[in-house]
Amino acid sequence: MILRRLNNLRPPTRSTTVAALVWLLCYIFAIPLSAANHRAVLVQAITTNDVAVQADLINSLANVPDPIIEQALTAWRQGSVYLYEPEDQPKVPFLLEAGTDATGKSRGIDLGTGEFIKDAAGQPLLFTAADLTAADTSSKLRRVIKTTLDLLALSNLNPNVRRDAASKLGQEQNADYLPHFRERLANEKFPEVRKALTEAIAITELLDEKADVRLGAVRALDQQRSIPGLDFLARLETEAKTKPQAFSLDLLNAIHQARIHIERHVSTSNFIETAFHGFSLSAVLLIAALGLAITFGLMGIINMAHGEMIMIGAYSAYLTQNLFIKMFGQGTRGFDFYFLAALPFSFLTAGLVGILLERGIIRHLYKRPLESLLATWGVSLVLQQTMRTIFGAANVQVYSPSWLTGNINAQDVVFAYNRLFVIAFAIAIVVFTWLLLTKTSLGLQVRALMQNRQMAACMGVRTDRVNMATFAFGSGLAGMAGACLSQIGNIGPSLGQSHIVDCFMVVVLGGVGNLQGTVSAALGIGVTDQVLQPHLGAVLGKITVLAAIILFLQWRPAGLFATRGRGLEG
Amino acid sequence: MKKLLPKILSGAAALALALTASAQDTVKVGILHSLSGTMAISETSLKDVLLFTFDEINAKGGVLGKKIEPVIVDPASNWPLFAEKAEGLLVKDKVAVVFGCWTSVSRKSVLPVFEKYNGLLFYPVQYEGEELSKNIFYTAEAVNQQAVPAVDYMLADGKKKFYLVGSDYVYPRTTNKILKKYLKSKGIADADIIEIYTPFGHTDYQTIVAEIKKFSAGGKACVISTLNGDTNVPFFKEFANAGLTSENCPVVSFSLSEDEFRSLPTKDLVGHLGCWTYFMSLTTPENKKFVADFKKWLKTAPAGVDRNNRVTCSPMNLSRTGVYLWKQAVEKAGSFDVDKVREALPGQTFKAPEGKVTMQENHHLINPVFIGETMANGQFKIIKSLGPVAGEPFSDKFLK
Repeated sequence: MILRRLNNLRPPTRSTTVAALVWLLCYIFAIPLSAANHRAVLVQAITTNDVAVQADLINSLANVPDPIIEQALTAWRQGSVYLYEPEDQPKVPFLLEAGTDATGKSRGIDLGTGEFIKDAAGQPLLFTAADLTAADTSSKLRRVIKTTLDLLALSNLNPNVRRDAASKLGQEQNADYLPHFRERLANEKFPEVRKALTEAIAITELLDEKADVRLGAVRALDQQRSIPGLDFLARLETEAKTKPQAFSLDLLNAIHQARIHIERHVSTSNFIETAFHGFSLSAVLLIAALGLAITFGLMGIINMAHGEMIMIGAYSAYLTQNLFIKMFGQGTRGFDFYFLAALPFSFLTAGLVGILLERGIIRHLYKRPLESLLATWGVSLVLQQTMRTIFGAANVQVYSPSWLTGNINAQDVVFAYNRLFVIAFAIAIVVFTWLLLTKTSLGLQVRALMQNRQMAACMGVRTDRVNMATFAFGSGLAGMAGACLSQIGNIGPSLGQSHIVDCFMVVVLGGVGNLQGTVSAALGIGVTDQVLQPHLGAVLGKITVLAAIILFLQWRPAGLFATRGRGLEG
Repeated sequence: MKKLLPKILSGAAALALALTASAQDTVKVGILHSLSGTMAISETSLKDVLLFTFDEINAKGGVLGKKIEPVIVDPASNWPLFAEKAEGLLVKDKVAVVFGCWTSVSRKSVLPVFEKYNGLLFYPVQYEGEELSKNIFYTAEAVNQQAVPAVDYMLADGKKKFYLVGSDYVYPRTTNKILKKYLKSKGIADADIIEIYTPFGHTDYQTIVAEIKKFSAGGKACVISTLNGDTNVPFFKEFANAGLTSENCPVVSFSLSEDEFRSLPTKDLVGHLGCWTYFMSLTTPENKKFVADFKKWLKTAPAGVDRNNRVTCSPMNLSRTGVYLWKQAVEKAGSFDVDKVREALPGQTFKAPEGKVTMQENHHLINPVFIGETMANGQFKIIKSLGPVAGEPFSDKFLK
């Protein structure tokens, strides 16, 4: 717990570190002597060179309730336990406190004593992570650590951690773990963890010597509709072919039944999953294409620079992230909010570039759509090269805030947070755009312009200003799309290129000049793509979707919802 | 205008004279790497390391007393253009040797050109094999120096299920075809091998990752990835978000080296594996010197060379090794003549950063192989050294 507390420390202000130190000292005095012994074991495990000895030492820590052991083992596995090597003295393994001072250094916490490492004068030593030697681990050792951590994790406070630990340990089919599972199951309240524990027990018991225990285990897996169990049941069935004498008819029947039930469950969960993936891909397409639905759909500009507006939005998100890292440090709570700031910032930057583009070039080309195609394509090349010059040709890294990483697992269907967010965001911006176009006077003017520019101008609509505002809004939407896409894929100078075709596809299929068409087209393409993908593979799936769109447009050249507007006039 | 013309002519003549004069103590060497287009991101680093190596050699007196004069052309990630530029190098510039190509398709495109004009090409990037031209020397890892050892490592680790995912082109398809045969020979059932391809630049890995999640639910599963370039970002993001880690399902990537990690979110890649004949984290004195010298060279590097956050990686190292092997062969043959150099090359050894390498009769290297785990800082932690492996391009020779 100490270390967890320390990990949460923000860059140390004097008062928080003092508080932590006081807390730390209180804690050290409160722990019983045996815990201190375990720490000595831990230190020995880290500093020994023999992997077999290390593994034994680590195993012996599996039943120790001291939370510092768990923290230290986790850190060791991730390579953030460091070694302090004073001259002529044994190595001291230590952790770094979470925050850094102004020079980027932080103090080290000695794992043996739980205190800061001090120099001869009694002053805490300062370290920078980059200059330190991390304590060695190999993948074998890490697995041993993981097993120990998993056993410790069975009594973790977080139910997700307990669940993962149970399923991981169950896969090892090690009968030694059974008492651990049963003990935990007796006290467990969360249904998901109970399921994982029952599953782990059943999978382990599949190898039991007694036939009735095995039968019970198979039935338990059947009842749980256990997907992890499927592999083990299949293995059992192959085994039955080689030595049939060990399998009763009852057992074979039960295995067969269980497999049928579980496979049925898998296909239901696949179905829900495909639907979800379809919606989430649709949402991505929709977010990316919505800006184009405005600039191309409503205004009739064949805007080849739309992709680059997305890219500008994505780079804006990258800049916001860097600013927040500078202000709060990475992985802190403050950092987590960067994305909320990135969305409006991306909107503004891309919108601003949109205004410049409209004022500088596009307004001269309203009557010459084909020339606007060439001009915007040129602009897109210029923008790409500009980004390459500023940020380099390589992609830049954007880290997701913690609330956008991870997933909810319901009925064996994984709902990733970033995907859920993208869906919610798509709905929000569609509603917002729809309200803007139908309920505001700007929206009314935009629609008037779209239907007949001269007439609208005659009626007193300031076409110049409305054009500029609409184009800026469309570009801004593209910018936000970029920020959103940064949570899913790459950010590089050619980001826009990979989206522009999809965007045009959505807008053209939906019917130029119409929002509900764009929404339906995005849904149609997204869901079809995901339904086809598991059967045809990604490559053939994509080709099929493209071919279907071409055929559809032969049948209805104006798209799903045809409207008359400038975009379609001769 | 009339007065200007004679001046230009005499200037040109003087220039031509200067050029022929300099041509006597230099030897022209071609660099055939894309400096623009999709592959530029990887290939530019190879051009940089080649220039560095030439400077290194020139500082010590060059080859046979002649300084290396690089002729850099840009085939712009355009496969037919590779053939055109190669022809230009061989016919117009009359280069003694060419270092170049990254993708297999670019190599296949220049191969007939090198055979027609009897040129010499050194190819430095891991590839699928099943090819042997008398005009090409492959310093690259063959399938039995990368894919097979990686799969062996997974098998030894107790993995029973293999999910092969790759970009849709010749290298992943051929490699996976060989791997499938190999896995079957090791007793892995058909149902436990899944093979899947995605287009270049694919961004939606939801379905594939969901499938991997179910595939690996029972444990003992791993992913063998030949995904190329950008697509790795959405793949690994999706992978991490689905709750998959290197512990419950490790990914071995054949196309990701330190140079690619510069633009990947390495946090999502921690613990996943790589298999190469070289890692920047090797601690041999030769490697320490190579890395330090390269970094020093970057400070004074010509304009256009990116100086920030530079790393070294296997294709870069193998590019450099190729230059040294060529130099030694030229010195042994006492001539730049392609036929004589080709005869002198087999048997050449070089103390490379990863250890001793030897050029074999089959134009491939004997080279030590390592398995490494990705760390958060974009470096590999070497977890296994497999010792020297003799490169063999033809899979029927190492598959029984």
